[in-house]
Amino acid sequence: MLSERELDRYRRQILLFGEEGQEKLKKSEIFIAGAGGLGCPISIYLAVAGIGTITVVDKDVVDQSNLNRQILHHDRDIGKKKTTSAREKLTEINPDIRVTVINTTIDETNVLGMAGSADGIVDAMDNFPTRYLLNEAAVKKGIPLFHGAIRGLYGQATTIIPGRTACLRCIFPNPPPKEVFPVVGVTPGLIGMVQANEVLKYLLGTGKLLENRLFLWDGLGAFTEEVCVERNPGCKTCGSIQKEGNKGDY
Amino acid sequence: MTIKIRFFARFRELLGTDILLAWTEGTILGSVVREVAKNNQEGYDAIFDAGGSFREFVILIRNGTRIETAEAEKTLVGDGDEIAVFPPVAGG
Repeated sequence: MLSERELDRYRRQILLFGEEGQEKLKKSEIFIAGAGGLGCPISIYLAVAGIGTITVVDKDVVDQSNLNRQILHHDRDIGKKKTTSAREKLTEINPDIRVTVINTTIDETNVLGMAGSADGIVDAMDNFPTRYLLNEAAVKKGIPLFHGAIRGLYGQATTIIPGRTACLRCIFPNPPPKEVFPVVGVTPGLIGMVQANEVLKYLLGTGKLLENRLFLWDGLGAFTEEVCVERNPGCKTCGSIQKEGNKGDY
Repeated sequence: MTIKIRFFARFRELLGTDILLAWTEGTILGSVVREVAKNNQEGYDAIFDAGGSFREFVILIRNGTRIETAEAEKTLVGDGDEIAVFPPVAGG
């Protein structure tokens, strides 16, 4: 049940989704892996949209060199845990939601326990080994994974619905080499918005998701592209899952 | 009787994009990408390793369908085909 304050806060988007849609968002729990370049804008926009429970996981403390893009963290937060900084800001931005933070490194021993009950997992990581762990957890639990990644002025995003779409390992069987990647804040801002938009559509059951579609952004040329991707029957992560029909729940 | 090669992201910076090439019967996907990449050494090195094989993270799409890099050297290209070549990005 939405409070009077919530009805007022979300009035302009209730015009889009109805109170029923807003209730769906309120009842949802989204797990955001990372409070960095992608995680900051994603968590801000999911918070203001009224996702009822947002869990943010990160292991780092705020560094001066983060501030060109990690917009939840301010100059005064340098040295503070990113999760603490994220909780403070997100709670200020929207006191009507529940923000949970976990200050840890995501690994194979804890990923299922942290993300296994969420309605969606947002990939806001900066490396593929952890992305593969999120992907495995998503596939094992049948939870959608909202993938995004960036480098410089380039980015990519896709939505993985286990059993229905290619998983992250089908699309990217081999990660690109590890590096200190160049980045300007507008790129994770843009890709993060694509991911957050996907989360909202999924939870509301509206629109057309980036299912089996890899969205590519070239900020240098201001081009968007889309390439079709498909399940790999031999995929070591999702190859054993039976292909499901469209359940109609999204 | 042409094929089109489309590079993305860093590959596009180094090699350009929407490159039209004459198609002939028996054209192999791997060979045609290699031929175009040779126009810029840095671009070539970004896509191929020292032994001349595709780097394993490179994504190849022919007419919207993924082609494994291991299959590229035996995959034939048809007249009018469009081949996309791009590097996934990993930052966040």
